[in-house]
Amino acid sequence: MPVNKPFLHGQFAKRGIKAAKGITGIAVLFIAWQIGASVSGVSSYFFPAPVDVYNAFRDMMHKGILEVYLLDSLYRYVVGVFLGSLVGIGVALALGLNKAIAAVFAPLVGFFYAIVESAWLPVFVIWFGYGITTILTLLIFVVAFPILYNVLAGIQTLPIVYVNAARSLGATRWQILREVILPGVLPSIVTGFRIGAGFAFRGLIIAEAIAATSGIGFLIFDGAANKQTDRTIVGMIIMGLLWLIIELAYLRPFERATIQKWGLVTTAEQREVQ
Amino acid sequence: MKTLKLRPYLLAATPFIGILILWTVLPSLLSVPAYKLPSPQLVWTKAIELTGDGSLLQHILVSLYRLALGFIVGNLLAVPIGIAIGVNRHASDFLLPLLTFLQSIAGIAWIPLAVLWFGIGDGAIIFVIANIIFFSNLYNTVIGVESIPQAYYRAVLSLGASRFDILKTVIIPGAFVQLIVGFRSSMAFGWRALIGAELIAGTTGLGYMTLDAVQWYQTETVILGMIIVGVIWLVMDRFLFRKLETMTVRRWGILQDK
Repeated sequence: MPVNKPFLHGQFAKRGIKAAKGITGIAVLFIAWQIGASVSGVSSYFFPAPVDVYNAFRDMMHKGILEVYLLDSLYRYVVGVFLGSLVGIGVALALGLNKAIAAVFAPLVGFFYAIVESAWLPVFVIWFGYGITTILTLLIFVVAFPILYNVLAGIQTLPIVYVNAARSLGATRWQILREVILPGVLPSIVTGFRIGAGFAFRGLIIAEAIAATSGIGFLIFDGAANKQTDRTIVGMIIMGLLWLIIELAYLRPFERATIQKWGLVTTAEQREVQ
Repeated sequence: MKTLKLRPYLLAATPFIGILILWTVLPSLLSVPAYKLPSPQLVWTKAIELTGDGSLLQHILVSLYRLALGFIVGNLLAVPIGIAIGVNRHASDFLLPLLTFLQSIAGIAWIPLAVLWFGIGDGAIIFVIANIIFFSNLYNTVIGVESIPQAYYRAVLSLGASRFDILKTVIIPGAFVQLIVGFRSSMAFGWRALIGAELIAGTTGLGYMTLDAVQWYQTETVILGMIIVGVIWLVMDRFLFRKLETMTVRRWGILQDK
């Protein structure tokens, strides 16, 4: 059956219309928000209008606060996710060398994973005080556990025939690890990393709210505490944009370049549940 | 036979017992002060004490109540809007980019505004939970509706179905599996947000209990809170949502076991 491919320009036109509609949707929200704020006459502290938010944005850009906060947050996020991945992958491989060990540790890891990141925050504050150590420790936790959890689960579901096949061809333990187990759990590592990177971003915001004196999370909460609600909203919008950039420019391409390229369908949605 | 069945449980219990032993022995060996890491006995005593005066149960119930209410409100909004977006291409073109952006802000970042608008306590926390659950299940619903084969619509339409018939016989049953999966995962996000929201905007609840204890260096309460957070989630996930999934999704053979 012949497939009717639309002409290229037709496709572009379609995309253009779609984008225009999407922008209209966002514009309508902002206009309604502005009108709502000016008509209702509520104080701008209680319900700042987009204009107030824009002014706050310009003010903070001018004073250079925003740049510092953004860089602080990004630095913490990148370092935390990087260290967390190292810890996660390292411990995962050490614990998950074989099915028996994976089976023994899986429930314990599952339990620690079930203690959500915000529940760790108070005890980290007691141990490490308010500051960068607490924030980084939290991010390491948040990133390492989903990797660990997914790798242990991945090893348990690795078909034993692969190991047997390699063994029957005379593979050493090291070769089995390198040729069978490691490639077999790579998708689990990527899935865990994706989940961890997502949780870490939320974790960063709440960690900065409680244990930092700079950063986007701090801005969101500090603004409200000082009756500068417009600054809070600037922080929220920047947080949203930042996450979209991280997600669309880094995480999705990373996933495409790895698991999707290896021909494995991601089940991130289902795994995220745990 | 029985010993064989017990074995995985015993194996699984081993690292827990190991940690318990380390936790008992190490702090006294390394002379870690109790406010840094209280012994298991101290945590246990605290558990008994807080259970005795009923405050622990109170915190747990308040947390669960907020989660349940946020879950209901969030999903009551997410499912109809998700269906509308899934069915109507215009709605999807107009709303999806906006909602994608709002979703990336969803969660604890709303706490300051929620506190300002609804006051500290239940109102603000439920708003935040409903917000995150809404965005989590909205996409699930859209995907669920979009994955219904076009042929089903045509088949029902050719039999003279009304719009309501389509909703009842095609869309809801067709998207049902995805909805159940979405309920479960949105609950996971809601639970995360709940503890975070209570840390900051609570005057009761499990999250509040743990952060409040930090100020008094009652670390045993903090650790007790963490354990309870973990246990509640595991119980909820295993006995509520996994059961629900087995009863519905797995039984119909739609979702494959890992």
